[in-house]
Amino acid sequence: MQNSHRQSTFHIYIACVGLMVFCSLLFSSCAQLPIQNYSQVLKENEHAPIYSIVCIVHGDNNYIYHDTTGNKLSADKETITQIIRVAQQNQNAEVFIFHQKPASNFLLFFPTKDGDFYYYRNGQLIANESYWRDQKESQLNPELELFNSYSADNKSEMKKIFLYFGHQIPEYGGEGYDESYPERTFTVSDLATGLINFLGDSAKIDMSILSTCYGGTPFTIDKLGALSKIIIASPENLHLSYFDLAPLEQLDEKLRIGNNISFAKNFAQNAFDKLTMNVQTSVSIAIYDVDSTKQYLNEIRMSYTNTLTNLKLQFQTFPSIVKQCDCAELPSYLLPQMNKGVTIFYRPARFGRLKNKQNHSGWECWKYDAKITNIR
Amino acid sequence: MKTRIFVGFIVMMFVFVTPLSANGKVDIQKYFNDTANKVKATENAAEKREILNESFQNLSKALDKVENMGLVSSENRDVFDQFKNNLQEKQDELAGNNGYERIPDSQLNNFSNYVVQDMEQALSISLVALLLIIILVILLI
Repeated sequence: MQNSHRQSTFHIYIACVGLMVFCSLLFSSCAQLPIQNYSQVLKENEHAPIYSIVCIVHGDNNYIYHDTTGNKLSADKETITQIIRVAQQNQNAEVFIFHQKPASNFLLFFPTKDGDFYYYRNGQLIANESYWRDQKESQLNPELELFNSYSADNKSEMKKIFLYFGHQIPEYGGEGYDESYPERTFTVSDLATGLINFLGDSAKIDMSILSTCYGGTPFTIDKLGALSKIIIASPENLHLSYFDLAPLEQLDEKLRIGNNISFAKNFAQNAFDKLTMNVQTSVSIAIYDVDSTKQYLNEIRMSYTNTLTNLKLQFQTFPSIVKQCDCAELPSYLLPQMNKGVTIFYRPARFGRLKNKQNHSGWECWKYDAKITNIR
Repeated sequence: MKTRIFVGFIVMMFVFVTPLSANGKVDIQKYFNDTANKVKATENAAEKREILNESFQNLSKALDKVENMGLVSSENRDVFDQFKNNLQEKQDELAGNNGYERIPDSQLNNFSNYVVQDMEQALSISLVALLLIIILVILLI
């Protein structure tokens, strides 16, 4: 009788373990198969794409925000929906979408993949896979591997657009950018190093869109400007509803006819209008025509590098005595050529100390915050 | 009995798999969002003002308790002070103290949205989740 009971318990145990293994295999294999036969679809759509869009959406930290009616939204998921619409609407584009998700376990013990990848060509979904992200230093190697597996052959002939959505990318340090991997580092330099490999034979990306807070700093534009002809970024805080992507939905109509700068202005104006309609905090969107900004960046590089070096030392002990501010507030950065190559769309916060600030130079710098220092 | 164990095991597996939402940042965001919803739900400007003021004061008291209990480590001190300072600024602006013009009655709904959006931006990069959970627990007591 006791033997029979033990045997039954053993069978239940085996059944449970079997079920767990089955489920983990089932779940971990989700979305790993190409949606359609890759080569067959490409044959059916033989015309080569003329636009290449690479979009990275960081979703591994707190990306929850509320709209004005009080609905709770997740910035990364909203963005994925928008960029998929862009991918479906463009019949002459290839679109790579990387969704960097938080780490999670299935049944407590089985880690699930922390990245989702979508590849669209000529408006059709060609592949949808899960992948493992970098666990320590991040220079986008897994993303690059997927990019190389699927990208069209005529890379050098295509107009290239790069988009990044996430929190402010640190200029140094970079620990804690991912909630799931506190020791993993990600900085502006890491992004720039990773992006070089996406370029292939092309000299530069035609347009980079940085949908993050504090993207318009001299350091960030300098680093990414080495790889991009035009950069759109927010020098100040950017609300998590990010830049609206609707102008990217009809690239044939908007980008083929006009030049890159006029398209960038159209994109920025649309994003600005949408944000100012819904957001009470400040809205700042700048377009950097990289070549034209070089003279200013060359003049201030030394000063900015020294500030960053000092901050690296001080940040370890007094993190909040430094704040970001409009570079125009700092005499050493207020130079005649500061506005050259920069188009800024700016509206101050509707409330708060800076509600009467009417202009922004388009450049954001670091300064010591005397008020916080006094509190200490 | 065996069926119960088996069913219990399966239920437990799925309970554990459900992502835990004990995220202090999200809950504090909800606190401000609930306040904004209450402000927008009432027509009376004096009531709107009272809802906002009470919300700031409750949070301010919770911050003081956390501080008095010695829960703010030196590591978190700066971001804690920044958060506290930010909250004080909002209180001052609502009341028209400390150099601020008093928020006009007609702007109270927009101001409540501003508080939600500004705090979301502040929380996304600052206070550690554990500290926020403690503050939230004190708020609820």
